[in-house]
Amino acid sequence: MYKEKTIPVYIKEIYQETNDVKRFILASVEGKLLPRFNSGAHIATYLKREDGFIIRQYSLTSNPDKTDQYQIAVRLSNASKGGSLFWHEQIKVGDELHISYPKNDFPLSFKAKHHVFYAAGIGITPFLSMIQELSDKGSSFELHYASKSKEVCAFYDYLRKHFSNQSHFYFSKQHNRVSTSSLEKHPIGTHIYFCGPVSFIQEFTEAALGIGYPKSSIHLEHFVPVQPMNVEPFQVITKNGEVIQVAKEQTLLEALLHNNVEAPYSCRMGRCGTCEIPVLKGEIDHCDSFLTEDQKNAQRSILTCVSRAKSGKLVIGI
Amino acid sequence: MKWNDDLEHFPYPFKGSVYRYSNNSIPMNTPISIEITPDYKDEMLLKRNLLTHHPERCYQSLSHTTTGQWEIVNLVIDQLVTYYPQHFSVEKKDAEWTFHNKIFDETHKFTFQDERTLPCEPLAFISHHVQEDLLFMMQRDGDLYLDAGQLCFPANWSLAFNLGMKFKSIHHPIPGFKEEGMDDRILQFLMRLEAGNPWERKNWSLMAGDRLDTSLETFDKWGKLRKQVTRENAGELVHLRVEVQKLFRLPRTNSILFTIHTHLLSLEKLASNHEWLKQFYDILSELPAHILEYKGISLYRDEVLNFLNHRLKGGKVR
Repeated sequence: MYKEKTIPVYIKEIYQETNDVKRFILASVEGKLLPRFNSGAHIATYLKREDGFIIRQYSLTSNPDKTDQYQIAVRLSNASKGGSLFWHEQIKVGDELHISYPKNDFPLSFKAKHHVFYAAGIGITPFLSMIQELSDKGSSFELHYASKSKEVCAFYDYLRKHFSNQSHFYFSKQHNRVSTSSLEKHPIGTHIYFCGPVSFIQEFTEAALGIGYPKSSIHLEHFVPVQPMNVEPFQVITKNGEVIQVAKEQTLLEALLHNNVEAPYSCRMGRCGTCEIPVLKGEIDHCDSFLTEDQKNAQRSILTCVSRAKSGKLVIGI
Repeated sequence: MKWNDDLEHFPYPFKGSVYRYSNNSIPMNTPISIEITPDYKDEMLLKRNLLTHHPERCYQSLSHTTTGQWEIVNLVIDQLVTYYPQHFSVEKKDAEWTFHNKIFDETHKFTFQDERTLPCEPLAFISHHVQEDLLFMMQRDGDLYLDAGQLCFPANWSLAFNLGMKFKSIHHPIPGFKEEGMDDRILQFLMRLEAGNPWERKNWSLMAGDRLDTSLETFDKWGKLRKQVTRENAGELVHLRVEVQKLFRLPRTNSILFTIHTHLLSLEKLASNHEWLKQFYDILSELPAHILEYKGISLYRDEVLNFLNHRLKGGKVR
């Protein structure tokens, strides 16, 4: 499987932002500068536990050009299975951990004439670097930020101080709720960005599509779910009827090559797409990071270097 | 000009006995975008001469690429001084950089991210110090665009023509590339490149002559050599042209640096390695017409096959 390179960092400072949100300042263990990042980017954090690593993704909330340290903000989730709970209760100043290089699945549109951000709760985090960048460039933007109250509204003071002209707050405890009707007020050429709970994103996306926003003008933050790898032996039937067994500790690609099937390949880690072959029958357990969700759901091709059968048997087109 | 024809270090591109277009990328072990070879001085003099006298075909950029160009300067200089400290060094005092190219005995002082302190654009500046062609692909609004580049040694294409084009439009002329779904797949791969995890691949073609600067604009000067190939002169005249291509995600601008290092090897030299001779003969014999045509081999394929076959049978031509 694909194993990304990581950067060793330590916890430089910790701040209690609100009752359930903490901010963490991370700096390089080796005293090196950290990479600049594209606004909207996140990092994966690797927390070492007795039984392996907890990997969690957090948006970078610092200035994209600041390279001596990064900042992330973590909300303590009630449903925490260890990620945010560990950040809140275990992590202390001086602790070391590994982080990924910054990556961005939620970039600013290049062609937008005006940017509008809708955040609910901790969904504010990716927008902090984005509005910083737009502000530096002198671009036009506005922020609509929903929270329960001023007291639990993370980064409220910061936003009031630096972006008071562009920021609109909605506190539900004061019966002031953000409404999809504000989507109707943005000029042509506006790109809209949603981040928050799934229900919030769904409601606003549907409303925007209903109003007539082009799909390409609507941007959502979504993290790639971690693929559970269910490793079981299975068999494949090739084009000429040959039955090939794939052992538990073997990849499909290895089994094909072992049986002298001329299967294409390159990276062997589910990233480059070279080893993709057609699947005619059977259900696939996709473990790659190459195919799109639609391509995976179509169940018509497999990346032999990492993916396996869900159904015990696959008929392949090679 | 005579190149070193270095058999031992030649990046031989083939595996198997059949060649088809594929994404044959592999992850890089050592993240290095450039390579200094024994031909450095000769190639750099040729390159600098081309950049000076033919800027329109060797250098192009769009105005929004300046930040990305500085990212390239940063990445390339850091790698030059890390991997070739005997040839390059840099002193950084905040934003004040002093860069030394010891091979040419040059010192350049400039302020990082201040174009006014350089004699030319940042990408053009760093191009004067590396053998590679440097291309900048910007990821914006869900697609990849060739937004800047320095290209002195193209394999029959034009930077001026392709500037600002999308990835798929650039590759549109390759027969079968779209039909086989390669364009979608490779675009998908590129858009998911991650910072800190660079990739490399090799591409190849055959050429009559040993010119590095085979631009589309100068086809009239070098294309006619294809008509002069005979079995007798193929060993000297015809060269295997291999591009080592490297792909780096630039995290600040979420764009991609694509470097191309072109290597030439005469068929005479190639034939001195029996394994390569046999493999290349098999590949060329089997190569479909559309690939032969696109790679510009059709006109003299038979002569080259005759030469290779003659060598396989142990014959010396002269």
